[in-house]
Amino acid sequence: MRFLRCTALALVGCVFLSWLHPRRTMRAAQVPADPGATSHSAPPAVPAVTWSRQIAPLVYQNCATCHHPGGGGPFSLLTYQEAFRHGPQMAQVTQSRYMPPWLPAPGYGDFLGARRLSDEQIALIRRWVASGMPEGDASIAPPPPHYDATWQLGKPDLILTIEHPYALAAGGTDVFRNFVLPYPLTATHYIRAMQILPSAPQVVHHANVLIDRTASFRRRHPADWEDGIPGMELELDAGNTFDPDSHFLFWKPDTPVLEEPAGMPWRLDPGNDLILNMHLKPSGKPETIGAQIGLYFTPEPASKHPMLLELEDDRGLDIPAGDRSFQVQDELELPVDVDLFGIYPHAHYLGKELEGWAILPDGRKQWLIRIPDWDIDRQSVYRYRTPVFLPRGTVVHMHYVYDNSEDNVHNPNTPPIRVRAGNRSVDEMAHLWLQVLPVNTAKGSPDPRLLLEEAWMEHRAKRNPGDLIALYNLASALAGLGRYAEAAADYRQVLAANPRDARTLNSLGAALENAGDSSAAEKEFTQAIALGPDNCDAQFNLAELELKRSQFAQAAEQFRDLLRNCPADAGAQSGLGVALLGEGDSASAEAEFEHALDLDPANFTALYHLGEMAIESGSPERAVEFLQKASAQRPDDVDTRERLAMAYAQSGRQADALTQLRAAVQLSPGDANLHALLSQVLSAAGQLQQAIEEQNQALHFEPNDADGWNNLGVLEARLGHTAAARADFERALQLAPDHAQARANLARLPRQ
Amino acid sequence: MAWRATVFLLGCLSMVARAAEPFGTDLNGRPIEQIAPAGAKAVVLFFATSDCPISNRYIPEIERLDREFAPQGVHFWWVYPDPGDTAAVVRRHDEDFQIHADQVLDTEQRLTRMAHATTTPEAAVFLSTAAGLHEVYRGRIDDRYLALGQERPAATRHDLELAIRAALDHRPAVKPGGPAVGCSIVPRNAP
Ligand code: HEC
Repeated sequence: MRFLRCTALALVGCVFLSWLHPRRTMRAAQVPADPGATSHSAPPAVPAVTWSRQIAPLVYQNCATCHHPGGGGPFSLLTYQEAFRHGPQMAQVTQSRYMPPWLPAPGYGDFLGARRLSDEQIALIRRWVASGMPEGDASIAPPPPHYDATWQLGKPDLILTIEHPYALAAGGTDVFRNFVLPYPLTATHYIRAMQILPSAPQVVHHANVLIDRTASFRRRHPADWEDGIPGMELELDAGNTFDPDSHFLFWKPDTPVLEEPAGMPWRLDPGNDLILNMHLKPSGKPETIGAQIGLYFTPEPASKHPMLLELEDDRGLDIPAGDRSFQVQDELELPVDVDLFGIYPHAHYLGKELEGWAILPDGRKQWLIRIPDWDIDRQSVYRYRTPVFLPRGTVVHMHYVYDNSEDNVHNPNTPPIRVRAGNRSVDEMAHLWLQVLPVNTAKGSPDPRLLLEEAWMEHRAKRNPGDLIALYNLASALAGLGRYAEAAADYRQVLAANPRDARTLNSLGAALENAGDSSAAEKEFTQAIALGPDNCDAQFNLAELELKRSQFAQAAEQFRDLLRNCPADAGAQSGLGVALLGEGDSASAEAEFEHALDLDPANFTALYHLGEMAIESGSPERAVEFLQKASAQRPDDVDTRERLAMAYAQSGRQADALTQLRAAVQLSPGDANLHALLSQVLSAAGQLQQAIEEQNQALHFEPNDADGWNNLGVLEARLGHTAAARADFERALQLAPDHAQARANLARLPRQ
Repeated sequence: MAWRATVFLLGCLSMVARAAEPFGTDLNGRPIEQIAPAGAKAVVLFFATSDCPISNRYIPEIERLDREFAPQGVHFWWVYPDPGDTAAVVRRHDEDFQIHADQVLDTEQRLTRMAHATTTPEAAVFLSTAAGLHEVYRGRIDDRYLALGQERPAATRHDLELAIRAALDHRPAVKPGGPAVGCSIVPRNAP
């Protein structure tokens, strides 16, 4: 019931993003038979290419998702007149494969929604333009697809809106801007789909949504977050629990809705922020950039937990001016089997060739992606048509080539200058993100995401011993895996470089306490607290330590002090309740628990104790209410189920009580007390034979329990098994010669 | 001496006689008979299409040049050669893009032919002399776009600006450093 607050600080790069399930709003374009085409007899000349017969279906299939009124493309291509107007460009841009936008080379990864045109399709457009762009028989043209620019899945459950729209200038270089959208609800929700509706889709090149679990970005920009903050990448503080980023929430113009695969919704908790990172391209006219994010909920929490991993080599980026082939690389060995769902390569303007591949344990090379001619304007998340299985021991590689010469047209510096890693568009980046889902996890083995985190952070920390965040995250992963001594050693390394880091002091304290060294832990907590009044986590942990030592007055003092610094801390509020309870002041304790529930209706400690207090004060129905909620928070907590069973039993709900106790016994089969309780409830329900079996179970685990033998005797006697009952009572008296009840029961048995 | 040399060079470029027919119409349908107002030293035609993204992205740049060179006697015209760009379409476009400029609907593409323009965006610079208009430059505005899909973050060579300065200084005109990139002007036999 005690939960140490350990902190996991995960840094998130320019992340994103989620499953893109493009919803096809267009009707399938079919090539209708052209009756005119066959009516001519010889000579069988090359049939004319017409808009109606070949080009319209091709355009509707491959271009119209963006090129429709209100779409992300700059003009519509839905009608013959429109296509005629842009015909020569259509031939040019398809020939050069600039359109449709698609960077990955074919044969280096089988991606969903691949947009590459075939050579035949390109030739068709070329022939059509060369022959004067004839319309042909308009009556055989397929009907143009229909798009509407509103919510594709109906009205969202929650719509978040940018409060202060951004004024984008008519001209100038591209703008990268981050808008903070606080999650306004007071309950957790699971998101199965998200749609972004920018007010001016044509200037939004792409957008990423990040989840800021701790509102860290907003707190870092208190004065101006409402107006949006410039920057291509951002770092977020992942906060107190191991909760790695798991989804690519990446938006591009032709994928209006991001629908998550079954079982893989993402989560929003009260206090979270969404950060909308938009790449804006000035269009020639001043634009007001607003956006709405529509969220669709599902009541089901995730049953599968993917994780984002990053390969990167930002430190290796130090590109001399003029260098046309500067290379960086990274690699990571996977400690568990995973399915690779998606991949997101990322560089800025100097990136030229971006490659990712895997070397499987048997030595085979498996390409994951290859982008031979990188263009940041057309970047995307790529999802595999079927997830790529990568067994444990696979080494994933990233290899990027940069061109910092003046021949690179994208080069933002003329003349070229030395370029290093950074967040501005004149800086560079070398990132390869992977979305993986651990598979084949054996029952009872540790959370495979922690093993991935360990491998990833260990690799980062080895590669760059100065990377304290990696070292910290590594320590947190080790602590999460229960390897407290190793964790403590790594935390100490962080502290060697940064002795006054309260967060690390606190985490070290937690690791030490978990390792059983509570006096060393106390020292670390105390040191963290001494660093400033805002170290509420350390105060909390110290107070909990005092509770454990039954130093209730000290704990109460600590919690009160904490609440002065962090007034809305429901955990501290309920902790104070526990301390007061320990001091015997149950009236004050009850008030604190109720206050804790005002702050957080799901606070387990408050629910549990209020339930217990209700049982004691003879209000079992009220107890049931609290304990049901408590048990919903921690379904595996045996103690709570036991209390709940007791409350049910006292409310006359024997069947419910039995269900709870059976579930509890399943969770903890060797617990004699549970079997004994189950036996009592069964006996009250008249199921004496089963009651006897359970009582025997209890005595099997605790054979020296005189009360238990006495109770078994009573059950046997009620079934008329006088001899057995006699033996039981005698056994009880053997163990406790002055057991008055057993003696009386023995006397009451009929004599033979 | 300098003047002579310039005249000699300009001689290589086409000499445009006063058009017998109007150059096009303004947004109110009135014919435009004269594109070089009295006192103008040079005339710049900016060929534009209302829905060509690259053309539109150059609007701020053309406005900048207009502001800078109008006081020096350079007259700017925005020329719309696509028959789809009707007065209503262009008016709407002007509102969207906040354009305040002299505009020609070149429905018959006479200005397009006169300047030999093939693309939007593209610009032509004419010197205005007693003998008529001499085209001294025709081509891209700058080198931001090298081809469709090949875009610099910002231009490094401002061809049109260089050409205007050369014309005002009576220096030999510069040649564009690369092709105009954007949307082809589809010749007049459009549907
Ligand atoms: C994923 C969305 C998308 C798809 C699909 C798409 N386009 Fe585009 N297209 C765009 C965008 C965005 C631009 C504007 C690019 C810019 O200027 O930055 C564009 C620009 C163009 C241009 C003008 C080039 C320029 O830069 O002025 C042409 C012509 C074009 N597309 C043709 C096509 C054709 C033909 C297809 C289908 C074979 C197609 N597009 C498919 C998004 C798309």
